[in-house]
Amino acid sequence: MLATQEALNQFVEETGGWIASQLEACTRCGMCTEACHFYLTSGNPAYSPVWKMELLRRAYEGRFTVSGRLKLALGIEKPISQSDLEAWRTIDYEACTLCNRCSLVCPMGIDLGSLIHGVRGALAAAGEVPDDLEQATQKQIEDGSPLGVDLDAWRDRIDWIQDEWDIELPIDVQGADTMAVFTSIELMKFPSNFAYIAKIMEAAGESWTISSKGREVVNFGLFEGNTEHTVLFLKRIFDAAQELGVKRVMVTECGHAYEALRWTSFNLMQVPAGLEVTHIAGVLGEFVEQGRIQLKPGAMDDGTITFHDACKIQRKGGHIKEPRMILNILAPESFVEMTPNKEEGICCGGGGGVISIKEADQKRFDAFELKIDQMNQIGAQRVAMVCSNCRLQFADCVQHFGLDWKIYGLSQMVAESLAGDGDAGGVQPAKEG
Amino acid sequence: MTWDEVLRFARGPLFKVALIVFIGGMAYRLMRVLLLGWGRDRVPAMGSKAAGVVKSYLKGILIWPFIPWVKGTFRRNPLIYVAGGLFHLGLFVVIFLGTAHMLVWKSLLGFGWPTLALPIVDWLAAVAIVAMLALLVNRLVNPVLRMISGPAEWLNWGVVFLPMVTGYIMTHHLWFGYTTLFSMHMLAVDLLLIYIPLSRISHFMFYFFSRTIHGTEFGKRGVTP
Repeated sequence: MLATQEALNQFVEETGGWIASQLEACTRCGMCTEACHFYLTSGNPAYSPVWKMELLRRAYEGRFTVSGRLKLALGIEKPISQSDLEAWRTIDYEACTLCNRCSLVCPMGIDLGSLIHGVRGALAAAGEVPDDLEQATQKQIEDGSPLGVDLDAWRDRIDWIQDEWDIELPIDVQGADTMAVFTSIELMKFPSNFAYIAKIMEAAGESWTISSKGREVVNFGLFEGNTEHTVLFLKRIFDAAQELGVKRVMVTECGHAYEALRWTSFNLMQVPAGLEVTHIAGVLGEFVEQGRIQLKPGAMDDGTITFHDACKIQRKGGHIKEPRMILNILAPESFVEMTPNKEEGICCGGGGGVISIKEADQKRFDAFELKIDQMNQIGAQRVAMVCSNCRLQFADCVQHFGLDWKIYGLSQMVAESLAGDGDAGGVQPAKEG
Repeated sequence: MTWDEVLRFARGPLFKVALIVFIGGMAYRLMRVLLLGWGRDRVPAMGSKAAGVVKSYLKGILIWPFIPWVKGTFRRNPLIYVAGGLFHLGLFVVIFLGTAHMLVWKSLLGFGWPTLALPIVDWLAAVAIVAMLALLVNRLVNPVLRMISGPAEWLNWGVVFLPMVTGYIMTHHLWFGYTTLFSMHMLAVDLLLIYIPLSRISHFMFYFFSRTIHGTEFGKRGVTP
């Protein structure tokens, strides 16, 4: 029996009725198809979400149902083969960001994202992971970061950030309230995010720290669907939090890391008791609402600006209101919603590990055309978001399509618009390295 | 064997057997899934799971099937989207609010309920039949649906269509004698009852699982399902 079949059986056994009842509910009506940005921009039937989870259905029926066993015996259904694995490796890793928009569209409400994630896990069990993703995972296992930033490189980079923006980053502070966990994307591509967040934390008077041990919040194990790796990377952060004795872990602008820490970890492992997991979007909302930071009203009113909803932070993370509250303060005249938005928002096309897979480049560029349409519809050339993965995809696509857009991180907007802070006090974004 | 005998058999012993197979089969399917186990969800919630479930059903039952632009799906083919909703509406009205069917329920359960006037039920039955034909054509031409449709999907359609169409012809006394039509309708119903536990037509039972899970998942994250 193929490792994938075995892993799928195990997936059903572990998740039990949660998954089985959802598989039983699927009538193959195909409605999920047009929810998928990869399908909409390619017309490839294989990108239909229901087809992406096909291996799981076959494995489940063949092992756990009478009619499925009958079909296997009669030869109507074939067992999963090696060539199936190769086909599904492409569609499930390269043409799916696990954004879960399909689950909102499903008349039965099936949580397709979780089911497709289960298929990824089973492909990983058979070693059928795209090379780029595999290599990045190995780097994260060995160096602590998928970009290969080891502890020394991390310290150098942190020192450089502190010098460059003239800020102080509290490192390994025992007993701080909040431990901020950043991504390598922020560290290497958007280092100013460290400065922005430091500035906001200081303004709010928050007792916070970063950790040299829990220095990478990205979780390539989650992308792979490999539970063992997922837990390994989660554990590094939870161990660091426990050692420092912090009250909460704050995920910065990263979507899937929030998914892993906030929504997945508790069911996979023992999370230190009493430890809270939050996202910077929620924390910013909290600071503004409690009056711990003051924003300059209308500071960002300069031509239409819109907000891009990240699948893991808004649709799956629930931080839908806070960014809008902030944008309505900063750009009351010029904030316009894209359609569709909020929980129904269209994915950037680069999440779920897709952006790290070279072979998927064309697919994610194609998928991004939906975002271009959305932006054009409202005539916006400025867009804010709260996920570095989305931001990386936006930045890359802006270059690819030659667009004249400005892309903002939410922390950046907040940090640059803090009241009681002369114009010269803003963090200069021009120094990105 | 005369049609009278066929009818007596189809609405007598065969119907009983079909009912037993249906109830037993569905109970088996249900137990099978329930016994796979239900791990406790240990994730601390951010929003209300209960509120999510309520919204999930309100949206799923009341709004969803009839408004093609909700969630922006099937926007290129809203007729097909609406057809799915109308088919289910017609089906439920005929089965539960048609007088003839209510009387069957009454004989089985021992109590009855008020029903709708025949012309209304009849129109909805016709709508459901037309919707089914539209859905079949769509399944035949849509490349995604063709890809995901195996023998089971085509059979599902046929086994549901037979009782619908024989019932409709019977109500209108078309082409054949009443006893003949009644016999064919009963045979089709018996076949459907026996077939349901073997097929995905059973989704009406698992619907309540998946929509509840959907509601709790979104509710716990503080997102409208």
